[in-house]
Amino acid sequence: MGQFKLKRGYDIPLAGKAERRLESAHRPLRVAVLPIDFRGLRPALKIEEGSQVQRGSVLFVDKRRPEIKFLSPKAGTVSKIVRGERRIIQRIIVDVGPEDSAVEMPRYAEGELKTLTREQATSALLDAGLWPALRQRPYTRIAQPGGSPKAIFISAVDSAPLQAETDFILESRQQDFQLGVNVLSKLCDGPIHLSVSSKTSEWFTGIEGVDMHSFHGRHPSGNISVQVHHVDRMKSGELIWYISPRHVAQIGKILTQGSYAAEKIVALTGPSLSDNYYVKSIEGADISCFIPQGLSDVTHRFISGNVLTGRKTDAAGFLSYYDEMVTVVPEVQEKRFFGWVQPGFKAASWWPAFVSWFLPRKPRVINTDLNGEDRAFVATGNYERVLPMDILPSHLCKAILVEDVELMEQLGIYEVAPEDFSLCTYICPSKIEFESIIESGTILMEKEG
Amino acid sequence: MKFLDRFLTNVGESIKKSPVKVVYPMVEAIHTMFFTPGHATRQGPHIRDAIDMKRFMGIVIFALIPVILVACYNTGLQAQVDGFWPAFLFGFLKLLPVIIVTYAVGLGWEMIFAHIRGHAINEGFLVTGILLPLTLPATIPLWQVAVAVTFAVIIGKEVFGGTGMNLLNPALTARAFLFFTYPGDISGDRVWVAIDGFTGATPLSAVAAAEDNAVSALESAGFGWNDMFLGLIPGSMGETSTLAILIGAVILLITGIASWRIMAATLLGGYGMALIISFFAGENATGMMSLPAHYHLVMGGFMFGLVFMTTDPVSAAGTNTGKWVYGVLIGVMAILIRTFNPAYPEGMMLAILFGNVFSPLIDHFVIQANIKRRLRHG
Repeated sequence: MGQFKLKRGYDIPLAGKAERRLESAHRPLRVAVLPIDFRGLRPALKIEEGSQVQRGSVLFVDKRRPEIKFLSPKAGTVSKIVRGERRIIQRIIVDVGPEDSAVEMPRYAEGELKTLTREQATSALLDAGLWPALRQRPYTRIAQPGGSPKAIFISAVDSAPLQAETDFILESRQQDFQLGVNVLSKLCDGPIHLSVSSKTSEWFTGIEGVDMHSFHGRHPSGNISVQVHHVDRMKSGELIWYISPRHVAQIGKILTQGSYAAEKIVALTGPSLSDNYYVKSIEGADISCFIPQGLSDVTHRFISGNVLTGRKTDAAGFLSYYDEMVTVVPEVQEKRFFGWVQPGFKAASWWPAFVSWFLPRKPRVINTDLNGEDRAFVATGNYERVLPMDILPSHLCKAILVEDVELMEQLGIYEVAPEDFSLCTYICPSKIEFESIIESGTILMEKEG
Repeated sequence: MKFLDRFLTNVGESIKKSPVKVVYPMVEAIHTMFFTPGHATRQGPHIRDAIDMKRFMGIVIFALIPVILVACYNTGLQAQVDGFWPAFLFGFLKLLPVIIVTYAVGLGWEMIFAHIRGHAINEGFLVTGILLPLTLPATIPLWQVAVAVTFAVIIGKEVFGGTGMNLLNPALTARAFLFFTYPGDISGDRVWVAIDGFTGATPLSAVAAAEDNAVSALESAGFGWNDMFLGLIPGSMGETSTLAILIGAVILLITGIASWRIMAATLLGGYGMALIISFFAGENATGMMSLPAHYHLVMGGFMFGLVFMTTDPVSAAGTNTGKWVYGVLIGVMAILIRTFNPAYPEGMMLAILFGNVFSPLIDHFVIQANIKRRLRHG
């Protein structure tokens, strides 16, 4: 068991952490699968508007790898296929029908899962629509079926702002989780690394067939790149896969139940909500079924995921595939008079440049104010302090901006993902969008092969 | 307040459409000075830190307030104005025109380049515009200031691509320009006291001219260590008071605006080099060679440069390891120039410019080390 204490990082003191309390929510009237949740995916539709679908019916497949299927989380009618710019499919919306009929899938006995071959395990996951849960690094994409990663990583460390606690959303799911690990172990010759933190339940330490690691530190200690960097650093050209703990449990559940199971527990977080708690919901749920009525998306921002890396949606939006939380923060409403010279008793800042930094730390309401304007890149040398990796953030970004592919690779672009730089963007006084820069570098690397 | 906001928006909009649209960046800068821009984030991270460039640069100016206050008083005091307030006012009226000329000329150029490049005015010049006057003698002719600022902004900064891209510290570029172009007005014994025809040496030139022990030469010129620490001595307007500069340093370090690594490294390099020189100088040394190490720290522009100039994030080394090398290099060079080059008793300015020029090279080696580490580990 590896112990990792990371000194660098930062926890944004955002108000609105969900209490560990599970409430019931309205049954969603609509669910959606969003092809844009899957980086680099080109969907090939298998249904059209008006099609009747069951829980587990194939909605679309990956055009390049048609064996990767995306299933409907509920039975009902495909009511709308929403396209965006250049006719890219944004959402496939299913109106939930009265009956919850499900497509029958092969059902495995618990013991059977341990005896699968690699091919059997792969096709079991593909057929059960579980494959998209497995992603690879470098370049965050759905894993290649039949690929050979050097290891599989599972992070049960919740470090992102207000992140849903793995511990809570997987309460009493130990059995499913163990079964999921058993299946995953068939996919890779290398080890399965499971990282936990001091907040994670005891039962994780009882999981068999994994290498346990414990990570202590502030965000982004829960990020996959950071953990890979410390546990088993990637060489250029190497491949790792990763999967979230919830999906591991989902594998165990679906393969032993013999039908698709889309249930998930979702944290309702953020300072805009008067009450923060967890609800029992499903994949792709219409977020209006658990957001209180009367909260307008003009004055508030609805985010599927956490406030750093989540996707902006609206009051009629849907939960993204990989997310277990919704964050709602106020939109910026006003300009502040002489904002830059105020002492800042309530300012939320990483910098000790406001009075609030010297006051007792307490959660704050933070709105979507950019708090400034785009400025020239002034390398203050503080980005390193929120990135616990041996990476030079400003120099990597400069290499990307000048499109020096060789230098980008030398500086380790294959070790990182845009999400690792979200705190660099957060603390930047020049308001540089590091994540977009890293993303454009990633696209360039993929193009150059 | 809504009224003022609307008014400034309207003025901005009408200027944008008028033939004088070149002044729009200035209107915009004034507008954002009064009101935060209020832009919302476009993408994740959906919330952002309260810091911005205005705050960042504003804190540097805040940290300069003690220096500015002492500069005003001391300028009057050196010109033998009696009484605290009259001396302060005298000095204030000497410093203010230099600041006004620096800002007017500098921001004028910034505005034109912002217009050409189609971006907003960067706040960096707010700091440059205060730093430069503080490094000049009170007697500096204003037209020279205007020429130097023009040179620093255009040749020192904009030809490299503007703010963030410049190799050299803009304020020091301007000062170096004056130093080499009009040496008679910024060096020697005639310029430090704002009285016509008055001759008075600075501690550094007193030591440089000393024929025996440096400390006794200082004592006989009336400069004890404590006097130089407090800073009520002749010199460039803002550089004399080590005490005031240290107050600024504390502000910069607490707020995390300036790099403690650079400050520590420069101090280490300068003090260390001075110790080495004293060690080898022996008992019978004269002039600069005989100056004890701790005297170097309170003399000339060493401390001012250390706190406010070396730490400019744009022209300093960008990597953490690089900052140590950069700082030590500047400290060592400053003392070496002071001691061994009698033509330039003030070595700090040249040492920092030297460090600026070398910082990309220093960073290059640090980056190569990172790459090698990755190849080995990775």
